[in-house]
Amino acid sequence: MTTFVQMVINGLALGSVYALIALGFTVIFRAAGTMNFAQSSVMLLGGLLVARLHEALGFWGALLVAAAATALISVLEALLLRAARKRDLASLAIMTIGFNTLLLAELSRQIGSDVLSLGDPWGSRIVEFSGITVAQTRVASLAVAGVLIAAFFLAFRFTRWGLAMRASAMDVEAAALMGIRRRRLELSGWAIAGGLAAVAIAFLAAFPSQGLDQTTGEVALAAFPAAIIGGLGNPAGALVGSLLIGVTEAAAATYQNDLSLLGSGLSLIAPYVVMVAVLLVRPQGLLGTRETSRV
Amino acid sequence: MSEIALVRPRRRVRSRAASVALGAGALVLLALPIYLPGFWLGVGLFSMSAALGAMGLNLLMGTAGQLSLGHAFFVAVGAYGYAWFAGHSGRQGTVDLSGLGLPPVLALMAAVVLAGLAGVLFSPISGRMRGLYLAVATLALVYIGHHVLLNARSVTGGFNGRQVPEMELFGFTFSNHHPDTLLVLGVPFGRLERLWYLGLVLVGLGWWLARNILRGRPGRGLAALRDNELAASVMGVPAARYRAAAFTVSSMYAGAAGAFLGLVYERIVPDSFGIMVSINFIAMIVIGGLGSVGGAVAGAVFVSALPLVLGHYAGSLPLVVPAGMEESGISPVEASNYLYGIAILAILVFAPGGLAGLVRRRSPKVPTQEER
Amino acid sequence: MTAPPLVVDRLTVRFAGLVALDDVSLTVAPGQIHGLIGPNGAGKSSFFNVISGVYRAAAGSVRFGDAELTSLRPDRIATHGVARTFQNIVLTKGSVTENLMLGRHSITRAGFVATALSLPWAVSEQARHRVRARGIAEFVGLGDYVDAPVDVLPYGIRKRVELARALCMEPRLLLLDEPVAGMNTAERVAMSHTISDIRAVLGISILLVEHDMGLVMRLADEVTVLDFGKRIAGGTPDAVQRDPEVIRAYLGTGRDA
Repeated sequence: MTTFVQMVINGLALGSVYALIALGFTVIFRAAGTMNFAQSSVMLLGGLLVARLHEALGFWGALLVAAAATALISVLEALLLRAARKRDLASLAIMTIGFNTLLLAELSRQIGSDVLSLGDPWGSRIVEFSGITVAQTRVASLAVAGVLIAAFFLAFRFTRWGLAMRASAMDVEAAALMGIRRRRLELSGWAIAGGLAAVAIAFLAAFPSQGLDQTTGEVALAAFPAAIIGGLGNPAGALVGSLLIGVTEAAAATYQNDLSLLGSGLSLIAPYVVMVAVLLVRPQGLLGTRETSRV
Repeated sequence: MSEIALVRPRRRVRSRAASVALGAGALVLLALPIYLPGFWLGVGLFSMSAALGAMGLNLLMGTAGQLSLGHAFFVAVGAYGYAWFAGHSGRQGTVDLSGLGLPPVLALMAAVVLAGLAGVLFSPISGRMRGLYLAVATLALVYIGHHVLLNARSVTGGFNGRQVPEMELFGFTFSNHHPDTLLVLGVPFGRLERLWYLGLVLVGLGWWLARNILRGRPGRGLAALRDNELAASVMGVPAARYRAAAFTVSSMYAGAAGAFLGLVYERIVPDSFGIMVSINFIAMIVIGGLGSVGGAVAGAVFVSALPLVLGHYAGSLPLVVPAGMEESGISPVEASNYLYGIAILAILVFAPGGLAGLVRRRSPKVPTQEER
Repeated sequence: MTAPPLVVDRLTVRFAGLVALDDVSLTVAPGQIHGLIGPNGAGKSSFFNVISGVYRAAAGSVRFGDAELTSLRPDRIATHGVARTFQNIVLTKGSVTENLMLGRHSITRAGFVATALSLPWAVSEQARHRVRARGIAEFVGLGDYVDAPVDVLPYGIRKRVELARALCMEPRLLLLDEPVAGMNTAERVAMSHTISDIRAVLGISILLVEHDMGLVMRLADEVTVLDFGKRIAGGTPDAVQRDPEVIRAYLGTGRDA
C-alpha cells in the first residue's frame, strides 16, 4: 500500500511538472495554431542558465533569470514564425522543428557531455510520513507547480487576458484582421509557455535525476502526448492528460519488475502507450471537441 | 520537375535538350562507381537510401499534406525486417538470434511488405487523425519502436544490434565475394560498387512508382484532400481510407530505405532509428520542396551528404573539427545540425518551394503560384 | 435514364442550441429544376450540407429513389449520383482538366496499386475519362480553358469550372449553391442558359439555391421557401411570389395599416 501511495505522489508530482509544459503547448496552440516542437530546446536553455547562474544568483534568482530568458526566446521564435510564407499547419510546425534543431545544436555544444547540477535547495533530502518516503524535490515540485497551475487557471478564467485567450479564434488570418492586440496576445502566450518551461526543467533536472545533460530536454516530449490526450487547446485537458501521464510513468517505473515481460525502460514509453490507447477510443482527446467545419 | 499532379499548364512534352540532359545524367550515374573512391560511394549509397525514404514521406507530406514524425520507425522495420527474414538463427555474442533464412531478394520484398503492414496496423490512427494529432501520434511510433528494438533481443539483437545478411541474386553476391574479383574497365568492383547499382534500380523504381501515383487518380485525390477535405469527400474521395493508404505507401518506401541502409551498413543498431532520423527526413522534404519527387531526392542527397562531407573535410574547413577531438570547434554532426536548422528556417521564410521551387521559378513558362 | 425523385421528409438539423432546419420537407421530382429560396440565415446552406453529408441530421430522412442518404458519409453520397457546387468556389490547384478529373473520382476505379504500376487498364481508364471530361468542359463553355491553371482564371470562369466538375460526377441530382453569385448580368444570362441546358440535355434534377429572384423564377419549375429553418411556402414560382408569408419573410411585418 505504501508503495502505491508513494507511486501516486511521485506520479502526481511528475504530472504537475509535465502540466507546466503542456499548459504552455495549450496557450501556444490557441494563440498561434501550431504545436511548438522547439519546447524541448527552449526548456534546455532554461536549465542551462540555471546551472550556470545558480552559484552567482542563488537558485531562485537564477530561475527567475532563466524564466525571463526562455520567455524572451519563445517570443523570438514566435516572431520568426510570423515570417514564414506559408501559414499552413505543417509549415508552421516544421518551422518550430527547424528552430529546435538550431537551438539544440548550440545548446548541445555548450553542454557537451557534462551533467550539470541546477543547485536546487532541496538536494537529495527526503520527507517521511506514515512510512512513506518522498523526495523533497517532488514535494516542492507539487507545491510550486500547483501554485503556478492554479494561478494560470484563475487568470484564464477571470482576467481579460484569459477571456481573450478563450475567445481566440486560432485562425491566423482572422487574427491578422483583428489587429495589434491580437498579436500581443499571441506573444504573451509564447512568453508564458517559455517561462513555465524553465520552471519545469528546474524540477525535472533535480533529484532523483542525475542532473542536466544534453538529453534532458527530451523529457518535454512526454508533454506532447499529455496535451494531445487532453485535447489540444484545452487547458483542463492538458492538466488531466499530464497527471495521467505522470502517474502512468511512475507506475511503470514502480512496477517495472512485474512488467518485465514487456521489456525494461517501460516508463519511457508509458506516455506514448497511454496516448495511443486514448486516441483509439477518442480521436479528439479526452476533453477535446470534434472539429466541425462549415462550408 | 513538379510531380504535383495538378500543375502543368503546358503540355508534358520534354524538350530535346532536357531529354539529352537526362540521358547524360543517367550515363554519369551508371559510370560513377568506376571513378569514385570509397568514401564518395558511401555518400552516394547513403543518399540513395535517404532518397527512397524521402520519396515516400513526400507522398505523405507533400501530397496528402500530413505531418509524420514516425518515418524512422518504418525505416527500422524495413532494416530489421530484412535482417530477420534473410538472417539465420544462431548465437551472436550473448544473444540467441532468430531468423528465417530466406533468399535475400525475397527477404527484401518481405521487409517492404512488412513495413507496409505496420503502416496498415497504424491506420485506425493515421486514417482518422490529421494535423498535429497525427504528428504527435507518430512520435509514439518512434519511441515505442525504439523500446521494442532494444527489448526484442532474439529478433533485433538488442542494444548491440544485428548483422545484416548480404544481398544475393542468382549466385551473384553484392559483397566483396562471389565473384571474388569483378573487374569493370580495369576497376575492381567490390561491395560498395555492386550495391550502387542495386541502389540505382531501387531508387529508379521508387521514382517511377511515385510519379505514377502522383500524376494519377490517387495523387489527385490526396491533393484534393489536402486542399479542402470537405470538397474532396463530396466529390467521392474517401478521406480516412486515402489518408491511411498514403501512410501505408509512405511506410513501404521507408521500409525499402531501411532494408537498403542495412545492406550498406552491414550492421544495424536501435540507436540509428531515433527521432533525429524522422526529423532529417522532414528536413529533406522541406529543403527539396514539398510535393516534388525530384525535390525529395535532391533534399535527400543534400541532407545525407552534408555531415559526411563535413566530416571528411573537417581538417580543411574553418571551425569544423573531426568528431571527438579536444580542440575547440564544431563537430561535423553539430555543424550539420546547425545548417539543417538554418536551412529549414531560411527555406520556409524565403523560398517555401524548396530547391524544386527555385528550379521551377527559373523556368519562365510555369506560373509561380506554389505559395498560397 | 431520368433521375429518381429526391424526397426530403421532416428534416431537422441542430447545432449548439441553434435549430438550423426545423421539420423541413420537400420533393424534387425527376428532371425538375427546384428552387430553394429564403432570406439570409434561413437554412439553405444547411440544407445542402445535410443532403451532401457534411452535416448530420438530428431527425428526418433524405431519400434519393430507393436509397437512404440520411446518415451516409459525403463520399458515399457521391456514389449515389448526388453532386454539388459550393458557394465559395473550392477548386484545387492545377489546370481546369485536372479539376474536372477530380470530379471523375467516384466513377473511376484506378487505385494506388494499379496507378503505381501503370497497369494498362488504369491508364486507358484515365485517358477515356479525360476525353469525357473535356467533352463536359465544352458543353459548359470551357472549351478554350481546358489547360489553363484555375488560379489565374476570372471569377465567372471559375464558377463554370466548379459547375463542370460537379457535372463530371455524372450526377442524377445536382445541388447548385448560388451559381450566379457575384456575376454580372451577361454572365447570369449565360449561366441560366447553361443550367436549363443541363436539365434539358442531360435530364438531371437540379436543386438550386439562389438570391437572384428573377433567375429562380424563370428557371424553376417549383420553388420552396425557407425562413428561420422552417418551410413557409412552396409551389410554382408564381404562387410563391404572391404568397403573403413569403412577402412577410422578405420584407418583414409592417405595421397594420
